[in-house]
Amino acid sequence: MTQTPAPYIALSGVRKAYRIGGEMMPIFAGLDLAIPRGDFVAVMGPSGSGKSTLLNMLAGIDRPDAGTLSIGTSRLDQMGEAARSAWRAHNMGIVFQFYNLLPMLTAAENVELPLLLKPLSRKERRMRVEKVLDLVGLSGREKQYPAMMSGGQQQRIGIARAIVSDPGLLLCDEPTGDLDRKSADEVLDMLRFLNRELEKTIVMVTHDPQAALYARRTLHLDKGDFVEEKRAA
Amino acid sequence: MSTHTRQALVMIRTNLSSLPRRSAISASMALSVALVVCVLAGFLSMAKGFETALSGAGSPAVAVVLGGGTNQETGSDIPATVIRTLDAMTGDLGVARDAGGKLVSSREIVAPVDLSQRTMALRGMDAAGPSIRDGITISAGRIFTPGAREIVAGNRLAEEFGLQVGDTVRLGAVDWTVVGHFSAHGSAFESELWADLEAVRAAFDRQGQVQSLKLRLADPASLKRLQGALATITETPLVAVSEADLYAAQSGRTASLIRLFGWPVALLMAVGATAGALNTMTSSVSDRTVEIATVRALGFSRLSAFLGTWVEAVVLAGAGVFLGLLASWLIFNGWQASTIGANNARMAFQLAVTPDVLLTAGLLGLAIGILGGALPALAATRLPLTAALRARG
Repeated sequence: MTQTPAPYIALSGVRKAYRIGGEMMPIFAGLDLAIPRGDFVAVMGPSGSGKSTLLNMLAGIDRPDAGTLSIGTSRLDQMGEAARSAWRAHNMGIVFQFYNLLPMLTAAENVELPLLLKPLSRKERRMRVEKVLDLVGLSGREKQYPAMMSGGQQQRIGIARAIVSDPGLLLCDEPTGDLDRKSADEVLDMLRFLNRELEKTIVMVTHDPQAALYARRTLHLDKGDFVEEKRAA
Repeated sequence: MSTHTRQALVMIRTNLSSLPRRSAISASMALSVALVVCVLAGFLSMAKGFETALSGAGSPAVAVVLGGGTNQETGSDIPATVIRTLDAMTGDLGVARDAGGKLVSSREIVAPVDLSQRTMALRGMDAAGPSIRDGITISAGRIFTPGAREIVAGNRLAEEFGLQVGDTVRLGAVDWTVVGHFSAHGSAFESELWADLEAVRAAFDRQGQVQSLKLRLADPASLKRLQGALATITETPLVAVSEADLYAAQSGRTASLIRLFGWPVALLMAVGATAGALNTMTSSVSDRTVEIATVRALGFSRLSAFLGTWVEAVVLAGAGVFLGLLASWLIFNGWQASTIGANNARMAFQLAVTPDVLLTAGLLGLAIGILGGALPALAATRLPLTAALRARG
């Protein structure tokens, strides 16, 4: 008899509510989710469905009110703020909708930021930065500032920053929401490459059905619960 | 370099690099700090200059005897019989004696006189008066002749009023000839006019009067012996203090008064500047919300977010301190000022921006940055990270 491997990301009975105007507004009332290692999941759903709350909890920025949330062997629901912050720095990369690059740092310096949290020498950091910039096709742009780049290039810098510390998990929040179609496709190709070739587990929140097609499966979230799942052909 | 140091350095660098985005409000913070520093340095340099002028005036080896129960020259009166009694005393009074065995002393009175509509002190003294004092040199001309209506003017006063050797000035009802200038190394003596005792008495109808008696002590420690000798004279209450103590007490009172006025003004301004700093740094945090939340989301510590904002505040305050100190040094150092000193006469002094003045004013300026930046820096550590995930950077 073969044992089913434990999911990489596992949410069980997760409850979350926010106090709005003195009243508790429930977002999740017992959410369950299992994502195996190496999966590429797109999460879609209307505004207010809980996509952002889910992403915040997966990122360790927010914590469930009840239930369990584990990624790998770590129980994020049991960690304090500082521990989650440290966990995030070592195990996860985040790709933001608006890139969130620091405008006064060069492309290389932006990519280097997560490496500053690790005990690496300057030379090791520079080598890693050069490697990922090459990977996202921006070799030679190390000294350029974000303002000198197109949206697509900035997002590729954002992706380089997310993967430079070689995390197992990438969280992408509307990564193509601010891009034209051509740039969006380039970024999505990049994410697919990272998933298929480098075996990164990717969770991507998106409104764009075209973007969702790049994922292995798409989960539809509505009113705090998953209502539909589509697998890529 | 530890990861914490690297995080802090990046945050500090990004904060400082983004200053041009907030140039106007950042400059206003630095300028308000500069203003506070400048004002405080102004008051402190005034007090310091006043102290320097008076402390330089007194010697511990000169005793000043005052009569009538007062401890100031104004209002003091020493009867002639007291002076005769003192002169007649034999034995060791602690006072130096000349070759003839007489006490080295100078009887003195001070007459307030008007010169160019300002009140000056005209000091009448015995011939030994200038030599009793320490550090007095005739810088031009000569000393007055006993009995003649001649005056020697302190360098500072002569320079300010353009008194040249050979000039004639009217003091009271009679004319006086300026026969010399004296230097007292910038001390309060240089604000006085000196003349012969008898000439001053005659011109101002103060025959027989002595306000103070200056005595050259054998050594500074012998003041107690003089005080013991004076205690045996019961005709009038007599006080003997060292000249250094007399002027130090005068300078202490006035310098305290200047500081008592200066510190509250500077502190009130500092409170305003701190509020300004708080506003500037709150604006800075608001301007960098996305950047701070982004690096925090990447795993940067709260401490690095705190230090980034706090150091920015201290750097801006430091720039203000530099500007303020530079301005105060350029404006105040060496500035000629005057006040009404003892004997209701004008006393000139020079503002002195000394290292301790710079240090005190500078520390107050930095305190504005440290306090004004702390709360916004704390706020930076508490920014909701969700802002980073949805905000347009």
